[in-house]
Amino acid sequence: MTAVIETSKLSKWYGNVLGLSDVSLEIEPGVTGLLGPNGAGKSTFLKLITGQIKPSIGTVRIFDQKVQNNQALFSRIGFCPEHDSFYEEMTGWAFLTSLLKLQGFSGSEIRSRAEEALDIVDLSADKDRLIRAYSRGMRQRLKFAQAIAHDPEVVILDEPLSGLDPLGKRKLIRLIKAYREEGKTVIVSSHVLPEIEALTRSIILIHQGKVFAKGDIHYIRDLIESHPHMVSVRCADPRGLAGQLLGEEYVLMVHFGPDGKSVLVETNNRDKFFALLLSLLVKNRIEVEEITSPDDNLQAVFDYLVGK
Amino acid sequence: MTASPPSGFRAFLSSVGRVFSVFFRQGRKARRTRFFVLFSFLPVAVSLVIKFNQVFSGKPGREGGYLFTNLIMLFYLQMIILILALFYGTSVCSEEVEGRTLPYLITRPVPKAAIVLGKYAAYTAVMIGMVTLGLIFSFLVLNVDRLLDPSLYGLVARYLGVLILGLMAYGAFFTFLGSSLKRSIFFGLLFSFGWENVIQYFPGSTQRLAIAHYLKSFLPATSSGRFSFLTFRLEPTRPGVALLMLFAIAAAFLALACLFFSRKEYSLED
Repeated sequence: MTAVIETSKLSKWYGNVLGLSDVSLEIEPGVTGLLGPNGAGKSTFLKLITGQIKPSIGTVRIFDQKVQNNQALFSRIGFCPEHDSFYEEMTGWAFLTSLLKLQGFSGSEIRSRAEEALDIVDLSADKDRLIRAYSRGMRQRLKFAQAIAHDPEVVILDEPLSGLDPLGKRKLIRLIKAYREEGKTVIVSSHVLPEIEALTRSIILIHQGKVFAKGDIHYIRDLIESHPHMVSVRCADPRGLAGQLLGEEYVLMVHFGPDGKSVLVETNNRDKFFALLLSLLVKNRIEVEEITSPDDNLQAVFDYLVGK
Repeated sequence: MTASPPSGFRAFLSSVGRVFSVFFRQGRKARRTRFFVLFSFLPVAVSLVIKFNQVFSGKPGREGGYLFTNLIMLFYLQMIILILALFYGTSVCSEEVEGRTLPYLITRPVPKAAIVLGKYAAYTAVMIGMVTLGLIFSFLVLNVDRLLDPSLYGLVARYLGVLILGLMAYGAFFTFLGSSLKRSIFFGLLFSFGWENVIQYFPGSTQRLAIAHYLKSFLPATSSGRFSFLTFRLEPTRPGVALLMLFAIAAAFLALACLFFSRKEYSLED
């Protein structure tokens, strides 16, 4: 398959701060997940490939054309920014039609495209409300609508699922998947693995401004599976529970919370551990207040992977 | 035979037009515009007070034309157009950065210079609308008994022209400030009420370093009366030269603003 987006030795420095270093990639049609902890360089990469900032070193090409100051190319790209920022005094309709006008469409085309985009994101009924009165989910969907309204071939979404409730996430994931079916190139950034996992199997791992790995999501899953996990269980009988967990070889360590009401367990097999934990809780009728995973974030995984 | 403009230039103008159309609509409907409409109607309120005072006191006051001239001088030239141009001009670029809406614009098939010029033109049109309304109402209130005097209409047109030129020149300067500085409002206030207010009264050629100097060069010299201090020490530039200078100032600062906006990488972080 031909690469739609190609970067070569792409690097960006903000003064003395490294934003991105020596990134050479080829991205093909379909959904590609850009995964990395906060501050990894995901947004810098997306800004570079959408021509918002200039590379310090290296090149970006989309459809084999240079991106910088290539306005004609921008009509083939849709971008959904990370920030929850809008022209708050506009209605959803005015926002979309204004941006479509900037794309250069005629009046009737603007109206039909705006109606279609609002329909796709399920905002038609609220199109005449001011954006400042929109919920977070509606705002995220409107951002997505403006990115797809001009029917671009490449859609770049910077943390589109951030801050959404589970229902809102599910809706937006469905929308992005539907767009993928049309054979477009979609890049989605996130710092949450399950979000990317719900969208695609093709991922790029980015960390400290460098591409750490690129490929199938199972690769990173396998890496994560071998990463020891911490699980905190707050319950009525933490010592009793700990006693039963300690016999298993995949339980590496047990600590008790300072208040004596929680137990912190380190395991190297999350699936087996959770299966056992649930069975013990049910069998012994232990009342659970909370189960959390303090290190269940990408930063911890990346720290582990890079050997920190 | 006339040569048609190159298609690249036509495309650029079309982009400017699209940006103008979007932001003229947005500018008219913005909440701040409602506030600034009220602000630009201050002279109308003062005109009403003066007129009521004349009517109810029964004393013959100064003639409307004289008061109109002074109102224009005092309110519009020295305060209203400066404030309007400051807030609208600086916002051309800075509101996109501070509001973090910049990515919506710069990822469209529109050159960055067209964004600056289109927004500048849109906001200048909004300001001109506000000032024109206020000016005409003030004129009508103060000259309600002399509306058949044709010379007065020439006066209104002249002042309106001066104010439009002022909005264009100041607006371009503040657009440049907004594109290049973070605290553009602060520096704009320093310029408006520091530099402009001081330099224009300097004798000799120094006063030519103030935009106000060229604007006042279009006004009749007021050698007597309470407001004569406003043209104090004015050594007017010829109107043709003043006009050229104002256009040159506007063009130069707009070109600089376009250059800054096109080259600068704005940080949208919190």
